[in-house]
Amino acid sequence: MAEGPVPFWRRLTNSAGLRDPDISETATNATPFSPPADRVSRPAGAPEPAETMVVDSEALLDIWFAREQDDVIVWRSCLPGASVAEIATRLSLVPAAFLADDVAVLQLAENILEIEYGASGTTSPDRRRQEVLRIVDQVRATGSGAARRGAALVLWLWASDDLNGPLSVPLSPVWHGRAMAALSFRLAAVVDPAEWVRDADRRDEAARTFLLWSGHLPAGEDEATARSILAMRDSLQQNTALAQTMADHEHRLQVTKRLQEARAREAAARYSNE
Amino acid sequence: MSDPTGPATPLPDPDDPLALAEYAPGGAVALTDAERWPTLDAAGAARLNGVARHPLAPAWVHRTGDRLTADGVARAQAPLPVDDWLAEHLVTARKLPAYRRVAATLGDLTSWPTVTREDLLDDISAFVPLDADLDRMIEGSSSGTTGRALQIPDDIEEVARSFHLLVRLVAGQGIDWRPDPARMALAYVVHQRQAFTYTSVISSFGQAAMARLNLHPSQWPAAGQRTGFLLAQQPQVITGNPTSLAELLHPELVAGLRPLALFSGAMALSLGLRRDLERAYGCPVIDVYGLHETRPIAVSADGGPFVILDRRVHVEVLDAAGAPVAPGQRGEIVVTAGENPLLPLVRYRTGDFGRLVDVAGRPALADLEGREATRFVALDGTLVPSVDLTQQLQAGGARGWAVRQGVDGSVTATVVGGDAGLIGAAIGRLLARPVTVTTVATLLDLGEGKPRRYESLAPGA
Repeated sequence: MAEGPVPFWRRLTNSAGLRDPDISETATNATPFSPPADRVSRPAGAPEPAETMVVDSEALLDIWFAREQDDVIVWRSCLPGASVAEIATRLSLVPAAFLADDVAVLQLAENILEIEYGASGTTSPDRRRQEVLRIVDQVRATGSGAARRGAALVLWLWASDDLNGPLSVPLSPVWHGRAMAALSFRLAAVVDPAEWVRDADRRDEAARTFLLWSGHLPAGEDEATARSILAMRDSLQQNTALAQTMADHEHRLQVTKRLQEARAREAAARYSNE
Repeated sequence: MSDPTGPATPLPDPDDPLALAEYAPGGAVALTDAERWPTLDAAGAARLNGVARHPLAPAWVHRTGDRLTADGVARAQAPLPVDDWLAEHLVTARKLPAYRRVAATLGDLTSWPTVTREDLLDDISAFVPLDADLDRMIEGSSSGTTGRALQIPDDIEEVARSFHLLVRLVAGQGIDWRPDPARMALAYVVHQRQAFTYTSVISSFGQAAMARLNLHPSQWPAAGQRTGFLLAQQPQVITGNPTSLAELLHPELVAGLRPLALFSGAMALSLGLRRDLERAYGCPVIDVYGLHETRPIAVSADGGPFVILDRRVHVEVLDAAGAPVAPGQRGEIVVTAGENPLLPLVRYRTGDFGRLVDVAGRPALADLEGREATRFVALDGTLVPSVDLTQQLQAGGARGWAVRQGVDGSVTATVVGGDAGLIGAAIGRLLARPVTVTTVATLLDLGEGKPRRYESLAPGA
């Protein structure tokens, strides 16, 4: 912290393709900010998305679901963290350059993670860094502009301490990979990250999602409150088609878990060969 | 009642390099007796104890109950209604995750795509209804002789109901099978190197005793123990597969046992063995065709075609392209199965082949292929059933295989996945012969459809 903007940008712009380091140009006041045509943002309750968009979103969600994250366990292990307002404010301050189409997100990640974790080595932090880089590389490989912007916003949240001072409760780098995946594949699949910056409700949703998968409850909220508010905001649950995909995923987790439990528990008597 | 089966954290026999941990005594003991038999009364407990602690009883691997509640007992005794079941079944299936993206294209049965075992292996949950009562789920492992094990969500009550199907099939032969407190109601016999064994009571059948018994000599160390135990229990009905039922032809068993009926399943029952069993015991021998995934499909009580059961099962015979074959023509048996509420299957390709024919006005399957019983010949002449190889192949991580024994006794195995070295060593020990193992990349490399995974041309096999 306490470094000036120029050194900060100099470090970030190294090979990452960030535009001129004009930090006064934030995504909220940069005009116009037009999401790419394949990712039209859509308020909850709007008409069903076109098939191509569903397929695109489902492809991102498939990547997320393949991680088999159990949100019940995540909620239970959350620790008190920064406030939603802190994170939301950081989101609204993201420099527009972060969301530009020509940003090389993998290189941006390498630069920021070097700041977060230090130089590479064989230490535990380095393994976490590699995990995050693998996820960012997955983001890049999808070719999805939404996923890329989602990843860039997460990187911004991690890097923004340099410009905006530390959060009231520091984030644990242990869960950086999980948070990166959650926002890039789960949330970006249903809400264009441009909306995380522009729209207050979506910003709140993004901030809460970020805190959850970073292992934190919002400051001043207990688990029940935080879950309830995020459930209300959750665009995935409010998108009928995609909520079905999510329900299928949760069902898969549940059946798999119950089958394993049943196997470990004990068989039941049977009567003949089948 | 105390637990006679030993510790709950088993280790395989350290002296037996082929022993698998899951078959160690007490390997899966997790429930209380009250959970195993919620309605067990004093008389039932006494019967259970009498079998479990019989002086000639084998070392039970499991302690296992049917878990039927009082309500469950009543429900298990009655068959599910079959009127209009198929239409309801399709309504249920249409909501499965597996069909979500194509639901709009699904009309009558013939418009549905077929489903394979690989589809279930890929994601079994996609075939489990979202609103299924998972509290009733038990895990059934279809080890099969045909590929890697499939974990199947079974329903407690449906499994219990399958016993009453046997009762009705016996009744169909004009035999009144009722609980007899002096006799074990049912002995489910296997004959393999390692197996789950247990004794239980059948809550929905007067809390009569039953047992799953491994007839393999290694399980009965004392001379005369196996015969003595079976004669003491006098099972009313004995179920098994051709390998285990063949053991019943030992003269001392023939002389002493008086079963009401015998059931064969899982593998093809040769006409010769059928006739031998019928002659030996003078009772019906009922061959049941079914898969764990589909539950029982058809039966043959006379060695002729398998008559499709009057239950929630619908059979088609399709060609390789998935189109129905002409009536009476050979094709793959495809089954729509609605008995298991946790796995409502539509057009499941069994990998078995046959012809759909008419027997006294009822559909039946003739010339059934795909359930060949194969035994391998060890170097010392011992016959080793293929299920023993299956256990080791699966323990070695293979996802599919073809094992063949030549006329000269040499054994080759082709496996997909797994540790070829480990598998070769395990099967080699089992057969006391060197085994050549080669690895291929995919199941398709083993051959199309459901290739014969086991074949032995060795004399005496």
